[in-house]
Amino acid sequence: MIINGVTIDETFAEAFPMKGTRLIITALNAKWAMISAQTFTGFATSVIACGCEAGIERVLDPSETPDGRPGVSILIFAMGGKSLAKQVETRSGQCVLTSPTSALFSGLESDTEIALGQNLRYFGDGFQISKMIDGKRYWRIPVMDGEFLTQEKTGVQASVGGGNFLVLAESQAQALAACEAAVEVMRKCPNVIMPFPGGVVRSGSKVGSKFKALNASTNDAFCPTLKGQTKSDLSPEIESVMEIVIDGLTKEDIDVAMRVGIQAVCDLGAENGIRRISAGNYGGKLGPFHFHLQEIMA
Amino acid sequence: MSALTFTLTTSAKQRIDCSPLTTDTLTGKSLAEIAAIEVLVGNRYERADSVFDISGDDAADIKFANSTDKLDFVGRNMTTGKILVDGNVGAYFGLFLEGGQLEVTGNTDVYTACEMKSGQIKINGNAGDFLGGARPGRRNGMTGGTVIVKGNTGDRTGDHMRRGVILIEGNAGDYCAGRMISGTIAVLGDVGAHLGMGMKRGTVLLTQLPSRGITANFNDCGSHTLAFLPLLFASFKKLDSQFASVESFSRVQRYAGDLAGIGMGEILVKI
Repeated sequence: MIINGVTIDETFAEAFPMKGTRLIITALNAKWAMISAQTFTGFATSVIACGCEAGIERVLDPSETPDGRPGVSILIFAMGGKSLAKQVETRSGQCVLTSPTSALFSGLESDTEIALGQNLRYFGDGFQISKMIDGKRYWRIPVMDGEFLTQEKTGVQASVGGGNFLVLAESQAQALAACEAAVEVMRKCPNVIMPFPGGVVRSGSKVGSKFKALNASTNDAFCPTLKGQTKSDLSPEIESVMEIVIDGLTKEDIDVAMRVGIQAVCDLGAENGIRRISAGNYGGKLGPFHFHLQEIMA
Repeated sequence: MSALTFTLTTSAKQRIDCSPLTTDTLTGKSLAEIAAIEVLVGNRYERADSVFDISGDDAADIKFANSTDKLDFVGRNMTTGKILVDGNVGAYFGLFLEGGQLEVTGNTDVYTACEMKSGQIKINGNAGDFLGGARPGRRNGMTGGTVIVKGNTGDRTGDHMRRGVILIEGNAGDYCAGRMISGTIAVLGDVGAHLGMGMKRGTVLLTQLPSRGITANFNDCGSHTLAFLPLLFASFKKLDSQFASVESFSRVQRYAGDLAGIGMGEILVKI
């Protein structure tokens, strides 16, 4: 399959099951809601070392937030419910509770729930106040700038992590420009995040390593400087490869995000140095979710 | 289907225990079976049809017509459905209510919503003493649900109240929120003496400073913007109450007490 001079490889991205939730952070103004959200989602690019993958889903208008203030919606994913609960609790406590004027709410209804402010309330040292509003429990925790309001629990749902595609270009600058264009449109898709810096990964990995201590190592088949040293997947004109990783609440959400992202890259086309779109997979060993590029773009 | 209607046929001289006449107990019964149900009138049991003219067939939608304040225990232990009382109603209206809706067009007597657990009670007139309270000797009042009072409430509103919401569009009597354990009481009108006496936790939300002031057992914690108030007002929007149209506010003067006890209760006054 070729779109605007860009070859779409006959391959698939391989993704794996995760547990995910959506949180809503509000603050006195949009600036501080974003600061709190960015702090919460910092160092959350990959479960390999961060414990979770998190990112900003979108900015919320005051009319869309529970307390009528400016807000930011974030998604956070982990490999299981317990690890997700741990990440949510520590990040909420260190990044949102501490952030001036913030409040924290659940953005996902589900029968399965994990603690949100349930344990943070003890920071109130006995002065915390519980409020049941519309069947949901909230905690009011006195803090130095007033009160930190947080919902007691948030819903959790089975999700998908590790959707991806690779952009193969003639230069680093062209690969980056294409990825920026893709991420810009993908950020408009609901229920997905691109957890890596700016949504783009330059250090895609393969499973395993020659070093026993490592579970993952550089994807040498796609490293342009190794074309003569390893079994390369790159043709001579490819000088740079970048990857966009997508986590989503459902497989269908990732399908949509991949389609619009790949289309944005293809719109730049061969004339802008984009030669191929490929994807990371591990022969079907890593996860049950397979995103076949040509099916997505058909 | 039409509402199952109990029309009081005589001017009751004795108190009538209406607790057997709820949606839970009447669903699935024929009119003949309902007519044969015995209700306590004074100290004697009498057939329901000797006290009420019974018509209609929808046991999930019950109506008491020509009601007086002699009808006690209406809606006791009800878990679902709806009861409308046309007129006044007696004591213990909605005792142990676990779900569904109760409404009275007139006034209620003492112990309305006593130890109520869930559901909604709407009083279009005034409510008697101990609204949302606990039975005598008991220490837990209502533990959930919503009570809307269009008029005024008597003394000791929310006595021992543990959870839930009481919305009073008129005035509240003396000792409002006394011995309150938790929950929310909001009053649009004035409040009587000894507000929050013995209050442990919970919130009293007022739109104006009480004419008799705040008792010395409450300390002024200053003026604040509280983020939970917009959520609370948003939850009122779906109610058939004046509270649904109250303009949301989050700036309040906060008083904490009763400091003679644990002092974790709060009175919030709009500023």
